[in-house]
Amino acid sequence: MARHSARGRKNVINQQDHVVARAIDLTKIYGDADNQVVALDHVNVEFERGHMTAIMGPSGSGKSTLMHCMAGLDQPTSGKVIVEGLEVSSMNQRQLTNLRREQIGFIFQSFNLVPTLSAEENILLPLQIAKKPIDRKWFKQVVKVVGLERRLDHRPSQLSGGQQQRVACARAMMARPSVIFADEPTGNLDSRSSREVLGFLKQSVHEYGQSIVMVTHDPRAASYADRVLVLADGHITQDLHHPTYEQILEVFADDADAGNDSTNAAHMTQESHA
Amino acid sequence: MIIIGLRDARAHFGRFVMSIIAIALGVSFVVGSFCFREMMNNQVDQMMASNSDADVYVRGNKEQKDSTSATFGASSDSGSGSSSSSNSTSAESKNYNRIDIDLADTINGVTGVDTAEAVYEVNGLVLVGKDDNAVSTTGGVTVGMGLAKGTWRSATLTQGRWAKAKDEITLHTFAAESAGLKIGDTTKIVYPDGPADVHVVGIFSTASSQAGAIIIGLNPQTAKEYFQQQSGQVGTARYLTVYGSAAGGQPLNVAQQQTLADSINAALPSDAHAVAVTGQSVRDDNAASTKKALGFIQPLILIFAIIALFVGSFIITNTFSMIVRESMRGYALLRSIGASPIQVFITVAVQAILLGLVGSGIGIGLGWLMVKGIVALMAHMGTPMTGAVDPSISDMLIGLIVGVLVTFVGASLPARRAATAPPIQAMNETVNPEKPVWPRGITGTVMIVLGSLAWLLCWRIAWANDADVAVSDWSWFNNGVKSLGTGWPLGIGAGLVVIGVIVLAPALVTPTSAVLGWIPAHVFTVTGKLATRNLSRSKRRTANTAAALFVGVAIVSCLSVVAASAKASVAGIVDSGLQSDFSAMSVSSGQIPDDAIAAIKKTKGVGTVSQSRMLMNVTYGSGDDATVAMTFAEQPSLFTKVFAPVTNSGDANTALRNGELVVGLQVAKDNGWKVGDTVKVNGQQVVVDKEATAKAQADYQAQVKTNIDGLTAEAQRLLAAGDTAGAQAKSAEAQKAAEDAQNVDPATLVKTKTETTHVTMKIGAIIENSIYRSMVLMNDDAAGKIANQYTMFTIMLFINAKHGTNINVLKARLIKAVKPYYVVNVQDRDEFKSTMSSMVDQILLVLYALLALSIVIAIFGIVNTLALSVSERTKEIGLLRAIGTSRAQVRGMLGIEASIIAVFGTVLGMVVGVAAGVVIRAVYEANGLSALSIPLNQLGAFLVLSILVGLIASVSPASRALKQPVLDAVAAE
Repeated sequence: MARHSARGRKNVINQQDHVVARAIDLTKIYGDADNQVVALDHVNVEFERGHMTAIMGPSGSGKSTLMHCMAGLDQPTSGKVIVEGLEVSSMNQRQLTNLRREQIGFIFQSFNLVPTLSAEENILLPLQIAKKPIDRKWFKQVVKVVGLERRLDHRPSQLSGGQQQRVACARAMMARPSVIFADEPTGNLDSRSSREVLGFLKQSVHEYGQSIVMVTHDPRAASYADRVLVLADGHITQDLHHPTYEQILEVFADDADAGNDSTNAAHMTQESHA
Repeated sequence: MIIIGLRDARAHFGRFVMSIIAIALGVSFVVGSFCFREMMNNQVDQMMASNSDADVYVRGNKEQKDSTSATFGASSDSGSGSSSSSNSTSAESKNYNRIDIDLADTINGVTGVDTAEAVYEVNGLVLVGKDDNAVSTTGGVTVGMGLAKGTWRSATLTQGRWAKAKDEITLHTFAAESAGLKIGDTTKIVYPDGPADVHVVGIFSTASSQAGAIIIGLNPQTAKEYFQQQSGQVGTARYLTVYGSAAGGQPLNVAQQQTLADSINAALPSDAHAVAVTGQSVRDDNAASTKKALGFIQPLILIFAIIALFVGSFIITNTFSMIVRESMRGYALLRSIGASPIQVFITVAVQAILLGLVGSGIGIGLGWLMVKGIVALMAHMGTPMTGAVDPSISDMLIGLIVGVLVTFVGASLPARRAATAPPIQAMNETVNPEKPVWPRGITGTVMIVLGSLAWLLCWRIAWANDADVAVSDWSWFNNGVKSLGTGWPLGIGAGLVVIGVIVLAPALVTPTSAVLGWIPAHVFTVTGKLATRNLSRSKRRTANTAAALFVGVAIVSCLSVVAASAKASVAGIVDSGLQSDFSAMSVSSGQIPDDAIAAIKKTKGVGTVSQSRMLMNVTYGSGDDATVAMTFAEQPSLFTKVFAPVTNSGDANTALRNGELVVGLQVAKDNGWKVGDTVKVNGQQVVVDKEATAKAQADYQAQVKTNIDGLTAEAQRLLAAGDTAGAQAKSAEAQKAAEDAQNVDPATLVKTKTETTHVTMKIGAIIENSIYRSMVLMNDDAAGKIANQYTMFTIMLFINAKHGTNINVLKARLIKAVKPYYVVNVQDRDEFKSTMSSMVDQILLVLYALLALSIVIAIFGIVNTLALSVSERTKEIGLLRAIGTSRAQVRGMLGIEASIIAVFGTVLGMVVGVAAGVVIRAVYEANGLSALSIPLNQLGAFLVLSILVGLIASVSPASRALKQPVLDAVAAE
């Protein structure tokens, strides 16, 4: 029932609403009364349909928290998250499961494939879990876009990092969700693989109208996005539309005076180890 | 390092609970099994000390082959632990030739002998209790002993006096209690020849409990008569009990016993074929054989202890793998700041040892409670035990060592991993691929093949024995095999197959889970597929988890096949052979009183009654070649009216009618007899010894005359002294004595003797019916020449209804007719079948209890394995949730995984168990397991149960997996 009504609404909204997801007065506070960390401080933001939005910011800026709240992975302390007109922040587990089946796709930094399944099975997994029919034509197209035609029978352990992340991208695109949340999708990849992955993420936005929200600390990755949001201390400090790589670098160069660059560098080093 | 270990242990306590339970269970079985054995031994020793308490026994000096009477009818108490005195204990130990009871006179003349006499014992009595029902206990038999003052030193008369006449009895305290009788009560005792009214004149107690046996003190003369009647032996006994006077009424010490035995030996005539042995040596022998008979219990318990400990060590390995995995960063940190691998190892090992100590401690307590519980249960069921229950220091030490060792071994592998992993690798979570399992597959297969060959050999040996052909074409092989018997190949085969399957199992995981997962993979497409594939990730772990269930199920399904086959075989006998409407048997002694037979024959509606009478002490052949065989006298109509014969050779019906022998196949084979052979049949008849009777009568007359003469003389003396009243009283007494002498039953003065008979008979037929396999049958006329009424007893009656009589009505009438005899049990065909079945069912009940236990242990194992697997797959499960897997689907996936593990173990167990059962059935086919029956319903129930077990086991790990927030799972970088 829930699925049907959701799909029905999705079709209606698709034609009217250019916003696929929005945060209204979103606040997230970690810790207890004595030791409070405000990760998000009354954030208001809208993500447009058919766009790739990058969220940037130094570690601790709240960029990951924002994405987790948007994706229903984390409960906001106050405020609302709305995806496709559905209020995510007040959903129970069952509704969240339905949300993930219908509206949301994920791409993680550490690929997160099921090791016992082949590439093809991993790609089709979300559809099978949701017991949806498999659109073979779309499957072929997606596989072609990510360039995995010859690797479909391989297990994740037989694939390189770049190939695994491409499988993850294909998996996220397969169900044609309203929005894909990508958490540092290129964080564990070399620069060539990064370019490939970002390339077809962008391609899926422009050719198929996919909406993507991507958290990244890599200005190069962010330069692929249609829009770049920069967070600092729980606030959105910058909202750039179609910025160039240089423009993005400039934003961070300004911050370098405050010493944020060094934290950023430290952050990156640690993550490359993890 | 030790401090860090202890702190870690406290932090991980929740994780340890399951390991502690597993270790405690395992240790409790180990300790319990030792305690139980010691308790039983203690009980046996106590009973020996109080029941075989003579200082010296005089017995025959020549060992004899087992006499058949001990296995049927006369003394059926072997192994029940009720060996109350000299006679019945011999059923469990060696048999010697009988000795003349007159030797007692010679021995009584030896210096140092207080009393020497034969204590007679009558088995199979029935005591009727206060409520007019037969007193019966699960523990033991009812036994009558000829007791008088001094006959049994350990028996203390607490009230009243010893029985002096046939209608008096003295009861053991437990018997009196069970029957609800007290001194002065009148009740009934069912003797082998029928019930009799008796008065309770005394109560006696013994130092040790009698393990549920009902002991009735009889007048020694009465006991002697029934003993002679039962055994067909007059004037002989197996033992004479001798009490010495050297210690002033107290038991003699070993040296004194030896001195006494030596002086008795010196006094015994050389032709008496008797020898005196010390009481201590007899007690030791008897205790040893009884303990041996009870010895099978401990290994049975130990098997389950091993299962529990195996699973326990495995759970511990899993638990520590989890802990080590989770603390890997900590250990890596310790290593990177300079801790040596040994120090890290110690940190983990300390936790293991602590865990082992706690688990073993609890286990020792549990084991002690378990034995206490068993004792309480046995007491409740009528078998009180006075043996010591408390575990000895060595039991506790064994338990402790086993517990700690198992824990340490279980933890050492993960501890080694913690200690040796390079710090960087430890910080990055890398999963090492599993070693290939094909070497185990090959080893396991080889072992299974060898085991199966051993089974085949065993089968072949049994078949060859049965069909009387050579096992193979090679004589050297045949000779080797002959000395081997069937037991060894069977056992070795079973061991090899079981261990082989455990070794092979990891290699089976992938194919099996593909097969078993077929249904779930098609019903629940994704979860089924994921679950099936997950099992193949760590095949060893999956296989080990299943192994716990495998062993338990294998044992139980093997025994169920044997039990079901036993049931089916009995039912088969009844269905195919038994043609009579009813059968009647005695529930106690095996003998049906003549009055009861008469009562049955008189019952309205009874058509024909066919009697099966057993002939006592019949041997075949002559001299040293004489062999014993159970011999029955039957009506000529046996094979047409009662049992259809399964003929091997000859014509059974004609042979029986013509007075020829009809021989069971087993007997024929043992003796090499063929149809047409003639054999010498030796029997016994008890006849009146005319000479002795005449002498006894003359003696009695003389005694009476002396008595009367004395009284008359006294009367005359009193009269002369002027005491008229006294004189009148005396002469009245004299007159009464004369009258008594006239009224005395002449039968009491009849002296009997045993005569041996020899008849040559022809073998007319050999039959195969499983109940007749080890018997020799002849018709009543022929039997009359060999034995007489004193040496033949009716064991069974087969009753046919008159044409047109309602069977149920007749049954009610028959039951009413035999009611006064208490012991006669009339059964229709179905009941006859179910007698055996209900016995088998009781054994099965015990097995199911054991199965339940191994299931509980197996659940622990599965829960633990899943918990480990969930902890390893935290991320993956989080991912599945993130891409839309519902909670129910995660539960379903783990449930399917657990169920497949459980079904895997169960199916392996069933296959091996049923195979073993089939082999055992085939090997013992000749011993009555003629029909093979595989209890498919039960096996199906096991399978369903195993699925349930898996589902139950998956609940808690699944909850743990779901408790983890999706975010933590996916964002844990």
